[in-house]
Formats: sequence, C-alpha cells, structure tokens
Amino acid sequence: MAEARKSMIKFKPKKFKVGDTIKVDFIVIHPMDTGLKKDKKTGEVKPAHFIDSITFSLDGKPFTTMKVWETVSTNPYFSVNLKVPGKGKITVDYTDNTGEKNSKSKKLKPKG
Amino acid sequence: MKRRNFLKGICAVSAVAVTAPSALLAKEAPKGENALTYDAAVSAITGGKAVADSDKVKLTVPEIAENGAVVPVKVHVESPMTDAEHVKAIHVLSTKNGNARCADVMLTPLNGKGYFATRVKLGGTQDVVALVEMSDGSFLRAAKPVKVTIGGCG
Repeated sequence: MAEARKSMIKFKPKKFKVGDTIKVDFIVIHPMDTGLKKDKKTGEVKPAHFIDSITFSLDGKPFTTMKVWETVSTNPYFSVNLKVPGKGKITVDYTDNTGEKNSKSKKLKPKG
Repeated sequence: MKRRNFLKGICAVSAVAVTAPSALLAKEAPKGENALTYDAAVSAITGGKAVADSDKVKLTVPEIAENGAVVPVKVHVESPMTDAEHVKAIHVLSTKNGNARCADVMLTPLNGKGYFATRVKLGGTQDVVALVEMSDGSFLRAAKPVKVTIGGCG
C-alpha cells in the first residue's frame, strides 16, 4: 500500500478577491530518483522513482496539466497562476512512474 | 576549488546537501530510460516547426548555481491569456542533461498569466531553455546559461 505523501498547496497572496490573479504553489515530498544513482549503503542502483504527471483542477475541471521528468529536483516545487473566478476547491492530482496516485485539495476562498 | 573534478563526478557530498547530479550529464551518464538529447526533445515538441527567440519569454535562472541539484527556474510569458490568445504550453529544457526535458506545462486562460516556476537538477554547466507554444501554434524560446559549481567537497 502506498504511503500517503506529504504535500502542500499555498496561495500567494493569502488574501485575495474574485478577479485577482494569484500564485498557486504546490510542494510535495518525493525523492525524484533519476535511476542513475547508487544507494551508498547497498551499492545497488536506486530505481527511477519520480512524479511524472500533475493536474491542477478547480471544482473538478482541470486548468493546468504537467508532464514532469526525473530532472526536476527532489521534493519538487511547482508554481502557476490562477485568475480567481469565485469560491471553489483547488485539487492537485499527481501520479509517479510507479503508478502511485495522490491528491491534495485546498478551498479557494476569495474575500469579496 | 577543484571545480573540474566536480564536473567529473568525483566530489563527495556534504552531510545534509543533496548529491550534485553530475551523473545527469549526457556524455557521462549511463543511458537512463528517458534519455533524450536537447535537439531531439525540441523536435518532438515542435514537430520541426520554426522556433523564434523572443523577448516576450522572460526566463529567470541563477547565473551561478551553488548546488546543481536544486536550480530555481521561473518562466513568464507576456500574454493576455484570453481564449483567443494565450500560452498553450511552457516546456522547460536543459541543453546537456542526459534527459533534456524537465517539465511540460499545459496552461489555459484560467491561469491568468503565462507563468511557471520550478526547481530542476543540472548535471553541470549548461543552458536552461524555456520553449513556449502559443495558442496560434507558434513557438517562442528563451535560453540562459547556468554555471554549476558545487559548494565545497565533502
């Protein structure tokens, strides 16, 4: 069973209105192993293990999709913008090359 | 500092820092399953279409990266981001990693800005490239060199 991954969605700025364009940051704990390095203890090559696909949705409708490669840093950070249309829920769905699927959500609460 | 020795992948890692990924460089790396040269990656993305270097693509990377494992990359493309005219995709590439691709980001007008930021691994000194596909099918590009030094051996 896949262990749940730690991840975080951040809005910048934290306080915003309908119509504002904000930053949506997503950070996730993941090794992003390239498959080219050896484990120092065992001497075995660590198999490639990296997030390969991410979808950002608002109330279930995707507004940004990403194809990600093993060349992105460990514990990766991704940032895009969102023009806030109103209240809603942002969901980030992500999968890695082993097929492990995860999801993180955050409520979008504009003031005014 | 034995900088050249770093690039040969000899240097050890400090206790906390992530290993400098010199193994990523095309000429030194064993073939990863996703290995693809920069030229082949560009071809795959553009289908051979012309790419224009453009001031509209603002690419921000450090001139010198102390740690090649974590190089911040920011791309901002000037665009109204309307249904009629918007950034369709931002592709972040590197010119010398064994796999030249870093991320392919498909945007929509709801993004409001043609913006993407992330942190990438660079196996050594090379260019980072932002290859941008616009909604009219045209391709724009910006490239910047990043000198990769790994701060302190061991």
